[in-house]
Amino acid sequence: MNRTYLIVKYLFLLAWSTFVVFPFLWALSTSFKDANAVTSGARYIPWLEFEPSTQGWKSLFTSGSQGINIVTPFLNSATVTLTASAISLVLGTLAAYGLSRYQFRAGFVKNSDITFFFISQRIMPPIVLAIPFFLMLREIGALDTILGLVIVYIALLLPIAVWVMIDFFGSIPKELDEMAMIDGCTPAGAFLRVILPNSLAGLVVAGMFCLIFGWNDFFFAFTLTFTKTQLLPVAIVSLNSSVTPWWSLSAFALISVTPLALVAILVERFMSRGSLSGAIR
Amino acid sequence: MARIVLRGLGHSYRNAPQCETDYALKPVDLTWEDGKAYALLGPSGCGKTTMLNIISGLVTPSEGRLLFDGRDMTGASTAERNIAQVFQFPVIYTTKTVRQNLAFPLECRNWPSAKIAERVDRIARLLDLSDILGAPARRLSADQKQLVSLGRGLVRDDVSAVLLDEPLTVIDPQMKFALRRKLREINRATGITMILVTHDQSEAMSFADEVVVMKDGQVQQSGPPEHLFARPQNEFVGYFIGSPPLNILAAEPGNNRLNCPALGLSVGLPRGVGTSVLSFGVRPEHIHLVDVAGTAPGARVEAVENLGVERVFTLRAATGETIKVKSRRHKGLSAGTDIGLSVKLGDLLVFGNGRLLGDGEAYLPSEDVG
Repeated sequence: MNRTYLIVKYLFLLAWSTFVVFPFLWALSTSFKDANAVTSGARYIPWLEFEPSTQGWKSLFTSGSQGINIVTPFLNSATVTLTASAISLVLGTLAAYGLSRYQFRAGFVKNSDITFFFISQRIMPPIVLAIPFFLMLREIGALDTILGLVIVYIALLLPIAVWVMIDFFGSIPKELDEMAMIDGCTPAGAFLRVILPNSLAGLVVAGMFCLIFGWNDFFFAFTLTFTKTQLLPVAIVSLNSSVTPWWSLSAFALISVTPLALVAILVERFMSRGSLSGAIR
Repeated sequence: MARIVLRGLGHSYRNAPQCETDYALKPVDLTWEDGKAYALLGPSGCGKTTMLNIISGLVTPSEGRLLFDGRDMTGASTAERNIAQVFQFPVIYTTKTVRQNLAFPLECRNWPSAKIAERVDRIARLLDLSDILGAPARRLSADQKQLVSLGRGLVRDDVSAVLLDEPLTVIDPQMKFALRRKLREINRATGITMILVTHDQSEAMSFADEVVVMKDGQVQQSGPPEHLFARPQNEFVGYFIGSPPLNILAAEPGNNRLNCPALGLSVGLPRGVGTSVLSFGVRPEHIHLVDVAGTAPGARVEAVENLGVERVFTLRAATGETIKVKSRRHKGLSAGTDIGLSVKLGDLLVFGNGRLLGDGEAYLPSEDVG
């Protein structure tokens, strides 16, 4: 019984991991192929089925007509995502703390309505926002610039940060703030000196969501830029011309996935909420 | 350290309180003298915690004023008030060590680090925390965590008052006893006002110079424990203070006297009671069991509860009323036995509409026996 269960379990896990990992393996193997190996039928194993070539990887770092410039889009993407995520995280955390600890009221609008307003920004289909964003950025001359994208990305990431952090602060007992104030902190001091250190897990989760959504966004990076400012997802798609260089494309895709994969491995231990229990009782 | 005065202080969690029941704490005038140990006693939800939170500044009262040594502190920040408070359940800073936890209130007030270290060590020794000062606070057991909370409350030596909101609930009984004594010692040694919220009356009686009894957001009575025991201002206080509670017995006016059929006693009819519903109260400790053969009124023993040194007898009087008696004697008495009752007239309390008649010593039942 136990043995059968184990076998079934591992078979399932094996099947599932193959399913998940396969696209990466495929991309990895393709990135080392030349044009010939790509077009002549299904081949996966280097040396055995095809002769590996590093032309795909080399092309990413050579400039000129033969090469594809990956460095500039990579830096652009990194700048936009990191800046927008950092700002969203700071503003979002402050907003979420306010909403979780104080009662706001303007007419019939209460805390829950404000929270919903934030979240509703993500419920809306992004395409609805494309034209307004385009017009607004054109108005301030921020189309096709890093600054313009940062502004738009903050608008997209802020709701995520607020959402995650409201939930997280809700799980931190209010007594902790009260205690800090009785111990002599100002309300701001209580937040900075007591609540924030206790919120590392939440901040990491919210930050990670921001990074993922920011780094992966294609739609706004595509509609709000032309030629000057290119982000990674747009750069990858633009490789897809009449003759697609599958080897460069695969290498490109792998490189653009790497940062997020590294982040995921680094912060995995924060993804469980266990680290915050025990503040009260 | 300060004399804390509540002047017409009340609080409602609603926006516009309409009637009395809207108040979590009904407007009250109360003075907490500097340096005394107080116990705030009352059933759950009677406004004890609201009152503490108003004093410490976590709650802003909807009406009335709060004075520290005559200074109006109603709107002052928690830091300005310099109150220490310990909650019912331990609140600790999980990201800090025990030492950092204890030092935090002092760091917030920018004490010099040498002084902080000295003070932390002293409090740690007092609460037997010296060995675990370096440990991360989140690893501690529940009662150790509460000791840390308590330590954080006691670490400042200049506080206006220490408010203890049922802090001993999670502590195991033996430790509880020792801690209570320790708190008392600290109060005596430092002269810091302490207010202990509790619903355990023995805790209140043994800790406090003065006990304040609350019910439904209203202060019922305050005074020294003995006084509350001997002269409860109303039936609630009589019922709440003392274990088993005060026996409440029917009082029947007749012949210009007030008779207690269950005990076979009668007192002179108190004046000015009009149509009040009258009743007698007598402490279980003040009823003596005597031989049934005499003239004493009888009762039947229904149950005996052995408390170790003492026994609590549940008796059924001839009138059908239940009477509890607490005694160290009569070890052989068992259920089903008939026994006589004897009560000194001075131990008899008379209530009109639930309130003690004759405030203080003004009215005492007269000496005649019926």
